[in-house]
Amino acid sequence: MTSIPQYMTSKHRECDDYFTEAESAVAKENWSEATGKWQQFSDELALHLTQEEETLFPQFEQATGMTAGPTQVMRMEHQQMRALVQDLDNALNNKAKDEYLGLSETLMVMMQQHNMKEEMMLYPMMEQHLVNGEQLISSFEQS
Amino acid sequence: MNISGLSFNALPPIDLPFRYFLTAPLFVIFCGIYLLSYGDSLWLSRWTTGMLTLTHAFTLGFISMVMMGALLQLLPVIGGVGIKKPRFIATTCHMLHCVGTCSLLLAFNAPTLWWLYLAIFCLTLSFLIYIVALIQVLIKKLSQGDSVIGFRLAVFSLMVVVLLGLGLLSRNLDLTPFGLSKLTLLADKHFTNIHAVWGIAGWGSLLIIAVSFQVIPMFHVAPSFPTRIKKTMTWFVMLFLISYIFFPVWAMPLLFVVHAIFAFSLLSVLARRKRRIIDTTIRYWQFAAIALLLSNAIYFFPESWLMLTNDASIFHNLAHKKELILAAIIIFGYLVSVIQGMLLKILPFLSYTHLQQRCLMDFSAMQYIPNMHEFFTKRQASILFYLHCTSSVLLLAVILENQFYYFFAVLLIIEFLYLFFLSLKTVLLYFQVSNKISLSSKG
Repeated sequence: MTSIPQYMTSKHRECDDYFTEAESAVAKENWSEATGKWQQFSDELALHLTQEEETLFPQFEQATGMTAGPTQVMRMEHQQMRALVQDLDNALNNKAKDEYLGLSETLMVMMQQHNMKEEMMLYPMMEQHLVNGEQLISSFEQS
Repeated sequence: MNISGLSFNALPPIDLPFRYFLTAPLFVIFCGIYLLSYGDSLWLSRWTTGMLTLTHAFTLGFISMVMMGALLQLLPVIGGVGIKKPRFIATTCHMLHCVGTCSLLLAFNAPTLWWLYLAIFCLTLSFLIYIVALIQVLIKKLSQGDSVIGFRLAVFSLMVVVLLGLGLLSRNLDLTPFGLSKLTLLADKHFTNIHAVWGIAGWGSLLIIAVSFQVIPMFHVAPSFPTRIKKTMTWFVMLFLISYIFFPVWAMPLLFVVHAIFAFSLLSVLARRKRRIIDTTIRYWQFAAIALLLSNAIYFFPESWLMLTNDASIFHNLAHKKELILAAIIIFGYLVSVIQGMLLKILPFLSYTHLQQRCLMDFSAMQYIPNMHEFFTKRQASILFYLHCTSSVLLLAVILENQFYYFFAVLLIIEFLYLFFLSLKTVLLYFQVSNKISLSSKG
């Protein structure tokens, strides 16, 4: 059985992999590879954010009664990430290398500090407070 | 885990670290001007007035200054909790630290005791307030174990360094009325060595090691450092630092070895990073690791072999100046390199993070935030790195052949003026965008 921190952290790493591969491809101006990797990244990211927002966060809020706390900040940061993903989509479609690399550095920084907060604090807190954590993860694994 | 003390938005106001980052390069620019006016006799030994001024302008004025500013921000990001009353603490400490450091530098050069009194007063108060504020955070059960332990040990080292520094300074005062005449004990050169070694390998290096465990995987999508290294490295450094007090002869090589292990694992983690695009901060980390390995090579190279050559050779000179060369490589090649590289990353990172946090409530204002490369370009970062490489080589040249001091001093001024320019550019852009966001939310 996989725990919440293990599974969700492994998904962060998976996103990082696609992200860095897309970024390297853009740096080499290999646009077809970049588009493929970027698509994989944005699909994985979208799924991950949805799993948090629609399943894990509500369950955590219910278990702890903290609705205006960490999960609220995480939701707002998700929104900002989605906006940056949109900007990166546009840069990729326009094959604007410098703009893409500036934006990708930005998203990278935002994602990493966001991930750190989740991995260091939120996920361990979830594991502590959600009794059905492993069941939730196995439902994610099957989806 | 106690979740009540955790705040995801506990970042202290950005102008607080900014003021530390902006004043730090000024001390090195002062060093450059001082070097030009002092002439080549400064480099004769580590005990000249000039050398004491230079080392303290670097360690207090630049290294500690940046690290104190960075810690204000790192604690909330890494530990989840920031210091209490950050504006009061940072403003008071920064001002006292600046005045104290300037007074100390003057005290080394001017025969009057008043500068010494002022230096002792300001630096004692500034470090006391800062350390107490940090301890209040560090004694809590924080979320991130390995890095936080490193922070604790680094702050403990800082306490030892400050206490010894004050003791060493007080040798110049008549303390017999206070029953403290026994401080003459500190006249032993060993206490100066403990002060220096704990400052460099304790306060400086322990903090860098602890920070590297956290920021290298985070910024460069690199694998984590091996768990064994993360769990034991900082403790070993502390063990050897304590041993150094009692058994300096065998503890010193161990301190070098533990740093060589850190350098190898740093290079190995960086080599396995997933993010392959060119990044100047990576080059700084690699440069720092190579400097550590070079210092090991020089430290362990048998002096007797160097002395076999004829009197005028560079190797003979190397043997005579070994202590100074090692200090230069470790301070300038390792500590200053990492700090400069980190500044290149954290200046835009902090600016962006703060601006982004301000847009959490006003999503439409996101459009005003510049991307990371708009604070300064990759090319500008590269220029700073090449300037640093060149001045590092010139520093070694000047220790071996003192007449090169002029070139080193000029390059040092150029390098740190450029760092100052990049920092100022970031700060100005931050405030410009911040104003736009304020206007947008009012509208």
